[in-house]
Amino acid sequence: MSGGSQYVVAAYAVIWFLVLAYVVVLGARTARVGRQVEAITRMLDRREGREGDDGGGGAD
Amino acid sequence: MPGERAALIWGVVATILVVVSTIGVFLVAPEDADQGVIQRIFYFHVAIAIASLVAFAVSCVAGILYLRTRSARWDDVGEASIRIGLLFSVLVVITGSIWAKASWGTWWVWTDPRLVTYLIVVLIYAAYFVLRSSAEDDRRMRYSAIYAIAGFASVPLSFYSVRVAESFVHPVVFTGSGANMPGSMLIWFVVSQAAMIALFIALLEVDLVGRRSERALRRLALRLENA
Amino acid sequence: MSRRRQLAALVRKDLRLELRTRETIVAMVLFAIVMMAILQFGFGTRDDDLTRFVGGLMWVTLAFTAVLGVGRSYVAEREQRVLDGLLVSPVPRVVMLGAKAIAIFLYMTAVEVIVIPLVGVFFVQGPYWDAIGWIAIAALLANACIALSGTLFSGLALFTRARDLILPVLFLPALVPVVIAAAGATHAVAGGPHDMSEWRGYCLFLLAYAILFSLVSVATYDAVFDD
Repeated sequence: MSGGSQYVVAAYAVIWFLVLAYVVVLGARTARVGRQVEAITRMLDRREGREGDDGGGGAD
Repeated sequence: MPGERAALIWGVVATILVVVSTIGVFLVAPEDADQGVIQRIFYFHVAIAIASLVAFAVSCVAGILYLRTRSARWDDVGEASIRIGLLFSVLVVITGSIWAKASWGTWWVWTDPRLVTYLIVVLIYAAYFVLRSSAEDDRRMRYSAIYAIAGFASVPLSFYSVRVAESFVHPVVFTGSGANMPGSMLIWFVVSQAAMIALFIALLEVDLVGRRSERALRRLALRLENA
Repeated sequence: MSRRRQLAALVRKDLRLELRTRETIVAMVLFAIVMMAILQFGFGTRDDDLTRFVGGLMWVTLAFTAVLGVGRSYVAEREQRVLDGLLVSPVPRVVMLGAKAIAIFLYMTAVEVIVIPLVGVFFVQGPYWDAIGWIAIAALLANACIALSGTLFSGLALFTRARDLILPVLFLPALVPVVIAAAGATHAVAGGPHDMSEWRGYCLFLLAYAILFSLVSVATYDAVFDD
């Protein structure tokens, strides 16, 4: 590479590396929200199952 | 949900514009006679700088609207835009530093107004998150809104003070009367500028959708605990 | 009571408190002298004549001294629970803002009456005393800037966790333009031929800073003490 084109490539790479890193952070948050929703759903499932046992009626 | 659709549309627009501007900047735009290939940094360096100012302006408006309405939505908008604006300002400092290395042979030049100003801007808005982390709930939103307004007032002051103090070392690309670059370069600058602003809006929308679902989740968890 | 009398009463309260204990101003002056000695030991090994750096030495010292003074400015209000009384009294917030800004302005002026001549004695070889009037005008303008932004930021820091940590982080980046302009104005007239157009430019900048920050403070100060 000549005439400083490596600097242009470096600048461009830095930009996309950091923007991608930011998107990954956003994605990680979405993943956390998804995990918590799953946990809540499981908890609700269990609770419904227990209520079903107490009432004597079949949950299924 | 309208937010999701907006995020999707802006994501697509930003992607297309980024691809087009990358092709244009590297393959179509003519080589600068004085600076050669290094000048191609300029297209995204300046475009990101202006996009970060747009982000800070949005946060200032969101701060004003928060103080008017006290709605947490505006706090979300304010924090999300400052976070993106800070990311962009850091990019401005890094790409500016690379440019300084390429054209003057040193990584840092204190006489370059753009580099120095953006360093101050990064410090101003990094402090925003320090302030946020040391207050809670209502007070945190209120203080953040006030600081977003005061911070945006300090941005032009930093710009002007640094420029008063320094001689121009950077190439003067925009003169008072308009752009002094040929139309074949200007068009690609405009496209990269549009790409960066679209990128800001897309990131903002995605962030807001995430925050909304997070808040809904917290409400749900609270309700389940009470039940 | 009219607003003017409320303002006068509040300023009198701050000054009387200070005159009784004298702790803030004495501490600020001592801090400034220690700071100048440290700067001299830091730079003096390289160059016997620091005249070229006199503006910087003066305003670095005064900026950090200002952080110290501004950090103390709400101590009485917080520790003796004066603020609770003030906030329920019918004093408009903007009068509280004005009173606190005037108090900080007077503290800074009192410190500078000692520090600015000392800077001349310590660091300047060459003409200095004929420029002292011009330096004083720039210093008064800079004090107005420090007082206005300092009042706003110390109000924000007041109820945060790690208050003492937050204030410098918020306040110093906003002070950078003031330091640049005040040091530039001092350099323009001290220790050599006077450059009055440069001095005037920096003073106008300080004036613009003070006006802009007073607008921001008046617009947002109601929200600072909103609970």
